Amino acid sequence: MRNKKVHITIIAIFIAIISVSLYYILKEPINLGLLKEPINLSLLKESINLGLDLKGGTQIILKPTERGGTGEITPEKLNLTMDRIRDRIDRLGVSEPLVTKDHLKNIVVQLPGVKDPDTAKEIIGKTAQLEFRLVTGTFISQKDDNWSIVGLDYEKGELLIDPDAKKTILIDDINKFFQGKSVLTVGNLITDPETNELVLVAPQNQADSEENKEGENADSAGSNFSAEEILGVVKYDSETMQMFIEKDGEEVGEILVDSRTGAATLAEPALLTGDKLAKAAAGYDTYGEIRVTLSFKDEGVEIFKEITSENIGRNLAIVLDEEIKSAPYIKVPITDGSAEITGIDSIEEAKNIELVLQTGALPISLQIEESSTVGPTLGMDSLNKGLYAGIIGFILIIVFMLFYYKGLGIYSALGLIIYIIIFWGIISGIGAALTLPGIAGIILTIGMAVDANVIIFERIKEEIIKSKSPRIAIGYGFKNALRTIVDSNVTTLITAAALYRFGTGPIKGFAVTLSLGVVISMIVSLLFTRSIIFLMSGISRINTPGFLGVRRRSSE
Amino acid sequence: MRFRNYNFDFIGKSKIWIIISLVMIIGGIASYFIQGGFNLGIDFLGGSLMEVEFTRDVDVTEVRSVMNDIGFRNAILQRTESNKFIIRTTPINTEVKNEILDSLDEKIGTTGTLLQDRNVDPGFGKQITKYAFIAVGIGIVGILIYIWIRFEFRFGAAAILALVHDVLVTLGVYAILNREINTSTIAAILTIIGYSINDTIVVFDRIRENTPMTRKLGYIKVVNDSINVTLPRSINTSLTTLIPIILLLILGTAALKDFALALTVGIVTGTYSSIFIASPIVVAWNNRFPKYKK
Repeated sequence: MRNKKVHITIIAIFIAIISVSLYYILKEPINLGLLKEPINLSLLKESINLGLDLKGGTQIILKPTERGGTGEITPEKLNLTMDRIRDRIDRLGVSEPLVTKDHLKNIVVQLPGVKDPDTAKEIIGKTAQLEFRLVTGTFISQKDDNWSIVGLDYEKGELLIDPDAKKTILIDDINKFFQGKSVLTVGNLITDPETNELVLVAPQNQADSEENKEGENADSAGSNFSAEEILGVVKYDSETMQMFIEKDGEEVGEILVDSRTGAATLAEPALLTGDKLAKAAAGYDTYGEIRVTLSFKDEGVEIFKEITSENIGRNLAIVLDEEIKSAPYIKVPITDGSAEITGIDSIEEAKNIELVLQTGALPISLQIEESSTVGPTLGMDSLNKGLYAGIIGFILIIVFMLFYYKGLGIYSALGLIIYIIIFWGIISGIGAALTLPGIAGIILTIGMAVDANVIIFERIKEEIIKSKSPRIAIGYGFKNALRTIVDSNVTTLITAAALYRFGTGPIKGFAVTLSLGVVISMIVSLLFTRSIIFLMSGISRINTPGFLGVRRRSSE
Repeated sequence: MRFRNYNFDFIGKSKIWIIISLVMIIGGIASYFIQGGFNLGIDFLGGSLMEVEFTRDVDVTEVRSVMNDIGFRNAILQRTESNKFIIRTTPINTEVKNEILDSLDEKIGTTGTLLQDRNVDPGFGKQITKYAFIAVGIGIVGILIYIWIRFEFRFGAAAILALVHDVLVTLGVYAILNREINTSTIAAILTIIGYSINDTIVVFDRIRENTPMTRKLGYIKVVNDSINVTLPRSINTSLTTLIPIILLLILGTAALKDFALALTVGIVTGTYSSIFIASPIVVAWNNRFPKYKK
């Protein structure tokens, strides 16, 4: 009699669990608009938090890099980066974005139903490091009698100089050069024959470059130079993808690309950065040119005033993410702390710049590793088809179990229904996102959930064949099956745990559904099914070997 | 003693099973080399993928000719439905992508919205693969230790060999069919590992239970009887697991089918290996290093 009480308690607990599960499943309102479907799946869909691959949306995975010299990647920087990305997304007006980091320190951004994923991608990954640097000069090279600008390949860390070029020089003002006005040669770029490094040396006489243009003294800056003449050595840092000019181990300036001309330009270290910025606004100037106007905080106003008053006659480069946007000529000191970025292609780009400057620079630079957009129709299609396969599969499994195990099959049908309710309830309750691999995982576990029943039923049948009474056979069946079920499921759980710990994105989701399925099916069959079978076995009429799926053979 | 009505001689014919498995595995390896490696998806190689919906039904040649015209001869085209195509290219930026879409729209007519649009950096796939391998490695070590504790070391080793067999056969089928391998496939293969072990353990559990009868019957007979008595369970469980998976293979979308294929192959070979491979290995081990009476 005590046993009976235990079984009734277990069943009561299960009824409670099922009720809670049903509460979570039914909590969400039922969308009546979906009733037109052949099978009403709206209930199932509404209750579950769907992953982006099912409900549609964009996922962007960004990897932190040291590019642009943002330095070491610390957890604090990573968190600040995530906050700023959230801020940027909020300004884009995307609802329910999710910014997380994975165990590889990648930042994962999930944007459900974003309308313009390309813009989002552009804005999220932009470092938005704004710097003001004085321009030292621009590199040009001479081939025959023609002068051409020198490009720069950041990825390879190479100055793109024509291999046949006679010489490469640094001139002070590229705009004057284009206008045909006289320019000053700041330095000659030559290869040190000993170290094979590119070295910038002072021109031998401060001659007007007109002379050079005519080709006189073309080789005067030849290969021999004295140490005093060295202005600096070109160095490249492949980690940060930055090219510097160094003198005595100190950085003299950085070589940057001018976005307007593509010319490699030498600029002094930054004097003012974007963190002193108060406001940025995109718009047009009076000539209809696109620009982003900048205004500084008090501290920035002071610094800007200082820079502009001390360097009249020089060009001040406005550098955004290692690219010179514009380099206006300083005519008069600017005291009100206002500046503007020009050289922008479209108003959309200007608005993007405004947004990223407003939210602040990311303390680390990011590289987009993966971006993936799934339209809502494709995801829903997968979900519907997955659910149909699951429902039909469920029915076929029950038919099979009833056919093969007769009366015992009823218990497994009941167990399977309870399994699905609890599984669904847990997923709804904890709000885990159901993804495409998750669906496959669930469908797999429906089949595997029956396994415990199959093992138990086979054991019961064996015991009945050994001529034990059904009641005793059931007891032995469960007892013998217990160890098998635990051992086989623990090994599956070990695999799932390894997948969860070391897997990425979709693999992780799969591991969760797999382990949930294994644990729930084990609990349902070892507790619920066991109790119900024991209680029912008290009713002798349904407790015949035939009901349990065994035809006794006279030979055995 | 006799267990039920099944009494197949699994162990006696183990050479046949091992030859069948070797043929499968060698076939897979051969096609791997003939095809020049696996057909890896953008998850591993990096690149861009988009699924385009056309306003009317189109065939491959039509899409191919548009792609050729704009210089994407190497684009991989996959028809997912009569008016839907997946187009895979090397990594491209937004402008190039829009050019492709404009050409397709102009010459064939598209619905304007992409069903999916993915861009993967080539380095990213390597990262995923690396961690998948770590996951598998740690999973295998964990399983081996667990089986060692609960059974014997030789059972653990045999289970791992059966598992490697299943993974090789599944990958072989992918090589033979030249089907694309992506992260879903990796997840599916990892699941196969879980399933294969589960299946093998049930048979081993029975061998463990029956081992005390070795003195009377001999180890070979004990193992053979254990396989026979668990045979209905092995078959029934793989059937109930296969039913929904095969439905997914028939009814599912392209992505779900990818999953379902690997799982179908894996479940069949997983069941096969736990009956025909894992237990014969345990017997062979005992023949070589006798612990129980043959």
